[in-house]
Amino acid sequence: MKSLRRWWGPSHPAQLLLGLTLWSLWFVAIYAGLSVACALAPPGAGQGALTAINGGIALLTLATLALLAWLAWRGLCAGRQAAGGGRFIALVGAGLHVYAAAGVAFVAWPLVALPPCL
Amino acid sequence: MLPVLAGCGGSHSILDPAGPAARDVAWLWWGMLIGFGLVFVAVVALWLAAFRRRDAPDHRPDRSVSPDEERRLGLRWILGGGILLPGVSILVLLAFGVPAGQRLLPLPGGETPRVIEVTGHQWWWEVRYPDDRGEVVTANHLVMPAGEPVDFHVTGADVIHAFWVPRLGGKIDMIPGRINRIRLQADSPGVFGAQCAEYCGVQHAHMHLHVEAVPPEAFDDWLAARRDAEPESSDLDDEHAPARDTFTAHCASCHRVAGLGEGDVGPDLSDLGARATLGAGTLAMEEGAVAQWLTEHQRLKPGNRMPDHDHLDPQALEALGAWLETLRP
Amino acid sequence: MSESMRPTPEAERLHQELEAVWGNPPGWRGRLSAVNHSTLGLRFMVTGLVFFLLGGVLAMLIRTQLALPDQAFMSPEIYAQVTTMHGTVMMFLFAIPVLEGLAIYLIPKMIGARDLACPRLTAFGYWCYLFGGIILFSSLLLEMAPDSGWFMYTPLSSSEFAPGPGSDFWLLGITFVEISALAAGVEITVSILRTRAPGMALHRMPLFAWYILAMALMIVVGFPPLILGSVLLELERAAGMPFFTVAGGGDPILWQHLFWLFGHPEVYIIFLPAAGIVSTLIPVFAGRPIVGYGWVVAAIIITGFISFGLWVHHMFTVGIPQLAQAFFSAASMLVAVPTAIQVFAWLATLWLGRPRMALPMLWVTGFLVIFVCGGLTGVMLALVPFNWQVHDTHFVVAHLHYVLVGGMFFPLVAGAYYWLPLVTGRMPSERLGRLGFWLTFLGFNLTFLIMHWTGLLGMPRRVYTYDSAMGWDLFNLISSVGGFMMAAGIAAVLVDLVLHGRYGRRAPRNPWGADTLEWSLAMPPANYNFASLPRVESRHPLWVNPTLGDEIARGEHERPGAAHGRRELLGGEALTGRVREVIHLPVNSLLPLFAALCLAVVCIGLLVRLYPLALVGLAGAGILLLRWSWENGGHPRAAPLGRDELESPPLHSRTADGPGRWTMGVALLADGAFFLSLLFGWFYLWTVSPQWQMPDRSPLSLPLLLASGAALTLGSLWLERRAAALQRGRESGLVLALTGIAALGGLHLVLLVWGLWAAGLAPTVTAHDATLTVGLAYLLGHAGLAAILAALQAWRAQLGLVGARLPFEPGVVALLWRYQLGVYWILVAAMALLPRLTGAGS
Repeated sequence: MKSLRRWWGPSHPAQLLLGLTLWSLWFVAIYAGLSVACALAPPGAGQGALTAINGGIALLTLATLALLAWLAWRGLCAGRQAAGGGRFIALVGAGLHVYAAAGVAFVAWPLVALPPCL
Repeated sequence: MLPVLAGCGGSHSILDPAGPAARDVAWLWWGMLIGFGLVFVAVVALWLAAFRRRDAPDHRPDRSVSPDEERRLGLRWILGGGILLPGVSILVLLAFGVPAGQRLLPLPGGETPRVIEVTGHQWWWEVRYPDDRGEVVTANHLVMPAGEPVDFHVTGADVIHAFWVPRLGGKIDMIPGRINRIRLQADSPGVFGAQCAEYCGVQHAHMHLHVEAVPPEAFDDWLAARRDAEPESSDLDDEHAPARDTFTAHCASCHRVAGLGEGDVGPDLSDLGARATLGAGTLAMEEGAVAQWLTEHQRLKPGNRMPDHDHLDPQALEALGAWLETLRP
Repeated sequence: MSESMRPTPEAERLHQELEAVWGNPPGWRGRLSAVNHSTLGLRFMVTGLVFFLLGGVLAMLIRTQLALPDQAFMSPEIYAQVTTMHGTVMMFLFAIPVLEGLAIYLIPKMIGARDLACPRLTAFGYWCYLFGGIILFSSLLLEMAPDSGWFMYTPLSSSEFAPGPGSDFWLLGITFVEISALAAGVEITVSILRTRAPGMALHRMPLFAWYILAMALMIVVGFPPLILGSVLLELERAAGMPFFTVAGGGDPILWQHLFWLFGHPEVYIIFLPAAGIVSTLIPVFAGRPIVGYGWVVAAIIITGFISFGLWVHHMFTVGIPQLAQAFFSAASMLVAVPTAIQVFAWLATLWLGRPRMALPMLWVTGFLVIFVCGGLTGVMLALVPFNWQVHDTHFVVAHLHYVLVGGMFFPLVAGAYYWLPLVTGRMPSERLGRLGFWLTFLGFNLTFLIMHWTGLLGMPRRVYTYDSAMGWDLFNLISSVGGFMMAAGIAAVLVDLVLHGRYGRRAPRNPWGADTLEWSLAMPPANYNFASLPRVESRHPLWVNPTLGDEIARGEHERPGAAHGRRELLGGEALTGRVREVIHLPVNSLLPLFAALCLAVVCIGLLVRLYPLALVGLAGAGILLLRWSWENGGHPRAAPLGRDELESPPLHSRTADGPGRWTMGVALLADGAFFLSLLFGWFYLWTVSPQWQMPDRSPLSLPLLLASGAALTLGSLWLERRAAALQRGRESGLVLALTGIAALGGLHLVLLVWGLWAAGLAPTVTAHDATLTVGLAYLLGHAGLAAILAALQAWRAQLGLVGARLPFEPGVVALLWRYQLGVYWILVAAMALLPRLTGAGS
């Protein structure tokens, strides 16, 4: 448990991988969820982009965005206070979290425009 | 733009679009070429200029830039060129690209266009026109109505092929066990080249499809002529009777000619004489071409799936060719 | 400077002492048993160069065939083999191995170590690469080379449409070569994380090491999907298990997913080290540190991750749901951002420094021009509608050569010219180098810039001929002329490389004024690299202290000499580089060669379908690898317990967390990627395959699986407890406990075999049964290994090679058990429980 808490700290090298790992998990969840949802409960034709599937994707996206934004903010604060290697890891980690958040937003963007399952 | 466009022609040219989908993509290309061309020139110019500067040492006589100042300058480079430039570019690109992609899709709703089924074989195309009044089947020659959208339902019979009419729009893979759909439209009547676009074996290069768009009425006539054509019969007693016998004895287990044989391994030959090419674009159809194909096809298209006919009498092949050329509705 | 070339007596003594321990023995036996990273890194690069030349000859054959319409220079069969082999050779036998070789050669020198962490693995990797490459390439000489394209799409590559042994050569040969890539990936990762010079914290590491670390981790995660794909396809071809056959419930698209899941990261695996060369050279020739070190590190990490999320952009024409296409299109464009960050960091470094256009920089400039162009066409290709048009045309051929030749070959030559003085102690010819550059650069652009246009005019890829009526004649002719021009340029570079070793002028120390540690070494470097291990407090050790090289040679830094007779280096903390232990390395050994030879026997046995022979080879390899693992820790041939034990820092085999544990961890990461790919295949076939047949009742017996899992769980927990106790110095009853654990492993294995047998699967009939078989076989293999290793631990404990003073190994074996515990229950849940729960089949 103690080692797990250390991993979670803003200056641990694991932070360099965490943001984009969350991005990947989100990506896999969306892609797999979409395939399964379309196989199990395809939305009716003509519903356009306003389906339950799009709604679910949007919710998951917002939650991921919030988590990443918080992680980035935390890294930034920690980086300002730390020095040397800790500072480096926290700041680069924060940048990576910001990028991961931007990546989530950017990749999720087309779902506003597109009906699923085509 | 015109002089540039002059080099863009050709039966398979993406830059000489003949339908709405291809036109969208052609415009996308020219737009991207200009935009990215500017980015390219700017980056390379910045790079080369950095080396030039050294030749003019008075450009910045004292290089005593403070570390803070330097950090700020560096940050400006990275934020401007590394984040802003690509960020804006890809946003713009997606804003244009996603709607363009959507227009190419067979979206549900609206009027359902005509359906043409195309199946890729090693190395030829089977084309089917489903119809309540009776299905029409042909090969390596696709006729479609101009001026209206057409849905193509494509699949592969053996390996993966790809259906692609460059001047009409994008390609779609023909995958065994699946049916893929693509919607294409030709603005006006014309002839377009098409070629298999997914590597499918040694004769991938000789897998052409002749695509012809005709006015809708002409298309209906074309279909009707094939539906109502008089089938061949082995009872007919004319100069082609020996050729028909040769066909039933040696060809019918693989090829179909309505009324004579129902083979489905090779292309349906019922309207062979009316097609533009032989061997999926290997030879142009002209007098004597079929006989030439029958004797030399393994030289013209090495490795194709039809066995050679060396055991057959050349005269019989010639007669067979002459008869096959008469098969036109 | 000049005095530095003359060694002091103390330096000379140290040199003799170290050379006696670290040197390669003389003669053939010595050459075959060498495990030194410098020797093997050079071997990797030279072998890669030979394959590059062979691949280049194939390229020239292709351009000759396409120079004119309707050419009959090659038959279509030969052309198909030549194009397939050109792609395969360049990607698998040239690009990856050469970059691995560069990393193997340079990384220890750059991070201040005397060798990589697993020297025998380096040698094993090299032999696997050499034998695999020879087997693969021999197929071309036998005229039975693979001919289904370097991407091997099924069903074209399946036994029905590719009946000869061509596809088998590809699948087996490539898998063999990939073992080598994985070996290099694992040990480079561990070396960079754990063997850096004291004080070299992560944020002081040379950028090149960051790039290589990313490359190594990407190899570790990215290659297993293709290995799985190759195994499945070979099983389909050889045993008729229908993973990719629609009629049996398989799906050819699964192959494409597995292939590109590897294939796209592969592009970045090739690009990242090359970009690392660029990021190393630019600061040196600009005379200032790189601008935005942290930004570049972030860009490297982003590239490494995002590249795994784009594989579907090779499959936009497959008919994937539109929303998913939009996702992957957006993700593909996202990768433009880290690339742009790097390009502008380089630009800023040049602008804020005083750049000089030395020969290596000329090649870097060529890289920039070509790579930016290729990157921009890459963004175009990420746009789905445009992709639908140009996919599989010569436009893509042009794009990929811009990215790969521009992004990999040009930086590689730049790096070759840059590091050549280090390797040979001589300077290359400036004039021949410049001639070679201009010929290569102009020839390349003539070939491939035009080729974009040929593609836009509709010329598809991989056609062996075309009709004159298409209007592609002139462009193809120009491309062919350019191709031969480029070949002439490469020949000039080669002549330069060969001649300079004899006629080049002697290089002064650190001829380019570089900042990184490798330039503090003798030129050429000694086998041990560093006579004493320097402490590093800066990103630019040689700029801070230009005389560092002499101090190192005089033994003024850490752990000078080798009076103890061991090959030693310092193991540090991954983050801070603080010294934790002294790592003792194994010495020269023939075991890697013999193990690789056994694998070659397996490969050939499978190729000629002599399965008993393959089994013999496999058994031989297994025994040799176990023997290899035996000579570790306290073994007399390694570091036996003595009276003069080091206390602070201790020898790594006397600790709980030496580099071997990290090696096991990273290897299990690769194993996990393989497992996840298998799991992906299972769920993919289940949900997407068009004719998937799920039986009404799962054939797997749940009670048997639960019993087997219980034995595994008990054994794993017990082993964890014993390993932890050993750390605390408690060793009573160790032999008995380890024997008990091994017995539990055996029980787990036996119950699993019973479960497999009781299921009565028909793997050649349905993809469902075939996938279950592979899943259970995977668990069986690991169960066997876990049981054997536990038994060997018991034996070693009996012999006193494991105990309170040597507590290292049980912890390493426990990692494998923990892994098996995880994958076992996940697989049981996915394959036996989930189908029951969802009532699949109905």
